Amino acid sequence: MNDLPIGLWWAQIRAVVRLEMKKTFFARRGLWIYLLALAPVLLYLGHSFNEMRLREYNTEMAAAHAVSTEALRSIRPGMSTSEVEAKAGTPYTKFTFRRRDHERTTYGYTDGETNYIFSFVDDELEGISERTRPGLAQDSLIFATVFQFFYLRLAIFFGCVGVFMNLFRGELIDKSLHFYLLAPIRREVLVAGKYLAGLIATVVIFTTSTALQLWAATLYLDKRVLNDYLHGAGWGHAAAYLGVTALACLGYGGVFLAAGLLFKNPMIPAATVLLWESANIFLPAALKKISVIFYLQSLCPVVAPPGGDVSGIWALLVSSAEPTPAAIAIAGLFAVTALVLVAASLRARKLEINYGTD
Amino acid sequence: MTAPPPIEHSLILLENVSRFYGEVLGVNRVTLSIPPGITSIVGPNGSGKTTLMNLMSGLVRPTRGTIKIAGVTPQEPEKLFRILGYSTQFDSFPKGLTGFQFVYLFLRLFGWDHEKCEKMAWKSIERVNMVEAANRKVAGYSKGMRQRIKLAQSIAHDPRVLILDEPLNGLDPLVRAETIALFRELAAEGRHVIVSSHILHEVDKISDQVILLSNGYVVAEGKIQGVRSEISEHPMQVLIRCDRPGELASKVFEQDHVVEARIHADGGGLLIKTRDAGRFYRMLNHIALNGISIESISPADDNVNSVYEYLIGGEESTR
Repeated sequence: MNDLPIGLWWAQIRAVVRLEMKKTFFARRGLWIYLLALAPVLLYLGHSFNEMRLREYNTEMAAAHAVSTEALRSIRPGMSTSEVEAKAGTPYTKFTFRRRDHERTTYGYTDGETNYIFSFVDDELEGISERTRPGLAQDSLIFATVFQFFYLRLAIFFGCVGVFMNLFRGELIDKSLHFYLLAPIRREVLVAGKYLAGLIATVVIFTTSTALQLWAATLYLDKRVLNDYLHGAGWGHAAAYLGVTALACLGYGGVFLAAGLLFKNPMIPAATVLLWESANIFLPAALKKISVIFYLQSLCPVVAPPGGDVSGIWALLVSSAEPTPAAIAIAGLFAVTALVLVAASLRARKLEINYGTD
Repeated sequence: MTAPPPIEHSLILLENVSRFYGEVLGVNRVTLSIPPGITSIVGPNGSGKTTLMNLMSGLVRPTRGTIKIAGVTPQEPEKLFRILGYSTQFDSFPKGLTGFQFVYLFLRLFGWDHEKCEKMAWKSIERVNMVEAANRKVAGYSKGMRQRIKLAQSIAHDPRVLILDEPLNGLDPLVRAETIALFRELAAEGRHVIVSSHILHEVDKISDQVILLSNGYVVAEGKIQGVRSEISEHPMQVLIRCDRPGELASKVFEQDHVVEARIHADGGGLLIKTRDAGRFYRMLNHIALNGISIESISPADDNVNSVYEYLIGGEESTR
């Protein structure tokens, strides 16, 4: 064991990482990975700005057309517009139109928190709808859904396809892989160096995006609400989401690096893995566990819909498996990644350069 | 006292090596023992030159047979590439690198530190006269410059064995002469310099030995004169410059081993074809003593071109 040239291997891994970094971070053909990673940030920024704008608007309306919540809640169907105005005053918005010989009128009120829409037909109140701005609980659920169904399954998945499959396959296509294979470096060390380079790149890109998503998603919250959240479950959730992001890069990275070495057309394994991971929700409990997404979802702090309590047609299609304890899920992901990398190394030892010329 | 290294540690040995690409033959049953010096691998496009070089460097693996490069098998790249440098025919480079970075970063893969790599990189770049262009991007280099920077990379770590696939392609005459001089210098230092080419007259002048390939088979190997003397079905041709070629012709025709004598077009020489060069040269000494003034004697067909022509025939497209 003492004879192993660990120092030499580590120096060689650093040299490979240095060479790969520029290619991975600044390649023009990798621009789409940044777009994919940052798409949810734009979504949450849009949501937060919209919430801030609506809150401001509601506050202005509530100030201009002050009305108490009690007065609004005392309004009942069957009342006329004048009775409603007597209880709640002038609405901040009023809209009248004729349809099928009936006059339809809509009144809008707000108490600053909730919007109340009253719908009249021929001056008789028929419908009341309350629209409360989404709160933290609802946003948390939306974040969990986007994270698990878009970010993990698509953004990180395809980001890892783009980065890790190119480490070997891309250089075979560019006819530049021989640059590495002419150096006195063990193929296993080369695999380790390239994997580490890909891992650093994807972890930096995707965890940065996760952090930005969390910031953007909570941007509109009151300072007090945000502080309460952070000092409650907030920091734990943030750490869990960042950790799951890094583990997703670790797991998918290993799978796609191996796929780039084992398959001539890497899109076939990528499509197969995507299908398998996407179908995970419909798989029997035992099969669910043979996937990266199952362990990643086990580690997510908020269960995304459909959770355990599915009903109707979903209940026929969806099966549930007990989430794996965090320690086992993390160890499992590391073990699967190590196995896949060993397979990739064995393949790399037999790798030939045959660009098709003689 | 340490024992001297085994003789195989100074040789490149290939034993019954074959390589097939599916059903397509790369090389077949190649057995070679290559000593230090300049060895040229010659053959037309598709004859198996690159396959043979890729086999030696482990970039492809033999379907059968064994290879040892100075005692190291190509299946141990971590050992092999400390003693071997390979300038491939592939004209592609890692993206975005300058000439210096191309050599320097390659050396960093050896696990050496910055100072050592920087020093070695500049030394090799200087050796191929690329210092001025070294900080420019390789993507902007001419074909000749790319050839030279590849050569710089292959010699940067001071290897004992150099394999150079068509290294003179794309070089202008001046750089070509400089590069050939560098090969001679490297060979004089006791290294193996293995050069492939499909241009026969180019390697004729620089090679200590040649390996002639055709359709994946080695058709001849060794020193070119030795190879020529073994081709008995084609009489040796000798050009003799003398004052009385007609008289000389009548004398040499008395010998049973002389099959043809033709007076040169300028009337100042005689082209002889003989089946026994040894006897012919002894006879010529005798003739010279009997009054014909012989100005020069030179073999007319012991070059790679003729050997290739005799062995493979006119169907191959060599230049």
